[in-house]
Amino acid sequence: MPIQYYIFLALALFSIGIIGVLTRRNAIIVFMCIELMLNSVNLLLVAFSKMHHAEALTAVADTTIGIDAQLFVFFIMVVAAAEVAVGLAIIVMMFRNTHSVDVHFLNRLKN
Amino acid sequence: MSITEILFWFLSALALVGALMVVLSRNPVHSVLWLVATFFAISGHYILMNAQFLAIVNIIVYAGAIMVLFLFVIMLMNLNSEAEPRKSWMMQLAGVLAGGCFMMVLVSLVRQTAELGGKTALVKEGNIGLIKQLGMKLFSEYTVPFEISSVLFLSAMVGAVVIGKKD
Amino acid sequence: MNAIIVSAVFGVLMMFASFLVNNKNVYRYLAIIGLSVLLLANILETYAIWSIKFDSFLQLSFERFGLFFNSIAIAATLFYVLLSGKDIVRVGNYSAEYFVLIFFILCGVSLITSYNSLLMLFLGIEIISIPLYILTGSDKKNLKSNEAALKYFLMGAFSTGLMLMGIALSYGAVGNFGLEGRGVVAFGGSMRVSFLEVAGLLLLFISMSFKASAAPFHFWTPDVYEGAPSVFTSFMATIVKATVFIGMIKLLEARTGIFGPTWQIILPLMIVLTLAIGNITAVFQQSVKRMLAYSSIAQAGFMLFALWSANDMGREGILLYSVAYTLATVGIFAVLVKMKDYTFDGFNGLAAKQPLVAASVAVFVLSLAGIPLTAGFFAKYFMLASAIKSGAGVWLLVVAVVFAAVSVYYYFRLIQAMYFKEGEAEMFEQPTNSFKGMLAIFAVLLIVLGIAPSLLFNYLYF
Repeated sequence: MPIQYYIFLALALFSIGIIGVLTRRNAIIVFMCIELMLNSVNLLLVAFSKMHHAEALTAVADTTIGIDAQLFVFFIMVVAAAEVAVGLAIIVMMFRNTHSVDVHFLNRLKN
Repeated sequence: MSITEILFWFLSALALVGALMVVLSRNPVHSVLWLVATFFAISGHYILMNAQFLAIVNIIVYAGAIMVLFLFVIMLMNLNSEAEPRKSWMMQLAGVLAGGCFMMVLVSLVRQTAELGGKTALVKEGNIGLIKQLGMKLFSEYTVPFEISSVLFLSAMVGAVVIGKKD
Repeated sequence: MNAIIVSAVFGVLMMFASFLVNNKNVYRYLAIIGLSVLLLANILETYAIWSIKFDSFLQLSFERFGLFFNSIAIAATLFYVLLSGKDIVRVGNYSAEYFVLIFFILCGVSLITSYNSLLMLFLGIEIISIPLYILTGSDKKNLKSNEAALKYFLMGAFSTGLMLMGIALSYGAVGNFGLEGRGVVAFGGSMRVSFLEVAGLLLLFISMSFKASAAPFHFWTPDVYEGAPSVFTSFMATIVKATVFIGMIKLLEARTGIFGPTWQIILPLMIVLTLAIGNITAVFQQSVKRMLAYSSIAQAGFMLFALWSANDMGREGILLYSVAYTLATVGIFAVLVKMKDYTFDGFNGLAAKQPLVAASVAVFVLSLAGIPLTAGFFAKYFMLASAIKSGAGVWLLVVAVVFAAVSVYYYFRLIQAMYFKEGEAEMFEQPTNSFKGMLAIFAVLLIVLGIAPSLLFNYLYF
């Protein structure tokens, strides 16, 4: 598969994530859109990993070039899991106090 | 059209539709389910690129653990009503324009990047995505970051207790 | 690697202390002991006397600059705990856990000062960010703190997404996560940089500007800094912010020249915007805490000069700047936490009631404004001088000096309130003698550094 297809797909998913973050008011949905952004990055990294691997294979038969991106994806998943734990705890705490997860509430801070 | 291409286009379409529906659904539970569908499509892409380990981990961690946590919180708060207030249409338009511009800029940038011309991502072949290879690398060269990510987990655990516990 | 490992170990030890010991004062003393040991361990590594070594396969590289900044950050945290430790313990029910998180943040700080691969940068930024989200929301009953935590969290996670996209694009162009990148290479006969790498680095830079709250990515800062418990605001506005700048300097030095001539437009624009927004909005604030939040944006504008100059003087300057800014801001916040009223009027007549406290605050404020004979003056001087050395236009310096003059206005309002207005500056509790002593030490340090800034740099080279 041409690498551009994967890049365009990842960029489209990433942009949909950005649009979701900017247009929705429910904090949980906003957070889910951020997860979508992280996932599109994962897809892009794996595609690049296979691209660099294919390139290296033409020179050397037995090579592990490109594997570092897949390990990076592994670390991104680790971080995302940690972030979800903290983020949902914060959202639940917020919900306990205000009975709402509307990010519009945040504007109250300004006054 | 080979079977690989058909699969590629099907999975891409599924991922895009799922992602769009995450943003468009009014009901948070539907959003979660569409996001799970998107994750499955992305896992399908991983399998297509022979990144088997990541495909499985993606399903277990993301679709399994993280999205269930989301669902759990949504159910706990009883948010499955469709009563989320909307942003004003001006804000929505601005958001869509911003996201669209971001995509347009990067897409045209990729099209201008000459060095990517003719490059392909290896599908169906290559063994770097197998558990053996990844494990050997993870526990030799990547031991230090692996250990450091445990600090990250510890801080997240402490944080979830500090923030989440009722006092 | 001493700082990374020892700080993580002390974080775990504090976790054990939280359920083995029930005395809040013990946590504070433990944290002070831990920070002292951490400082000692880092200094031992700096002078190559003793260090724990693990092969990180070139993902971490320890050099004098980063190690010295570690010492500064750890020492600043030590001073911070000595000064406001009692207030940290008092924020909520989880006294020991706050220290745990502070230790983990220091682990992230020492990662960012020594990373040599983008993976480590990413892990470091996350280890700093996640505890900060929690500390921001640690005042659980306070609605403002909750909202600040949620806002900070959503912004932070969003900028993490941008950062990862940047790293991925850069990887696509370079083929590894090394700090060096590929730079200018031949493409079909002509020498140029890869568009993908430029776009990736730009996204990376934007997301780090988010964390460092440089305009136009500053909009979360005032709300979060105001909503967070004041003790933790002082921590995140000083040590963490300076660390992010160190990370940016390392990144831009390794990939120097990649942005080409447009960089000469983007960065000055950011500097001017940051200075303008920070200083002008700070003028209109009534709350001292919010004024400090905006002034921290303005100070970030000056720190951006180090990115512009990218020479040895800029590196020295950013170290001096972080010391001067951290000491002064931590000191002011320590006093602010004890005040009942956070507005300027709340400080009315403080000089009559607490002459030593007021005098120290006056020194801090003078240093932040950059008045000669304080460390802040030389910090700003080094920043501007290093920019001139790298060929900055005179107009940029004029703008910087003008905004420094604007900042004098709102800083002096605080001095005016303390010394020249009648009033009852009410405090929650009378400051103890040790608190006053620490404040005085801070003030003396600022003045000593303001007379002989080279005292600090000597440690960088010898």
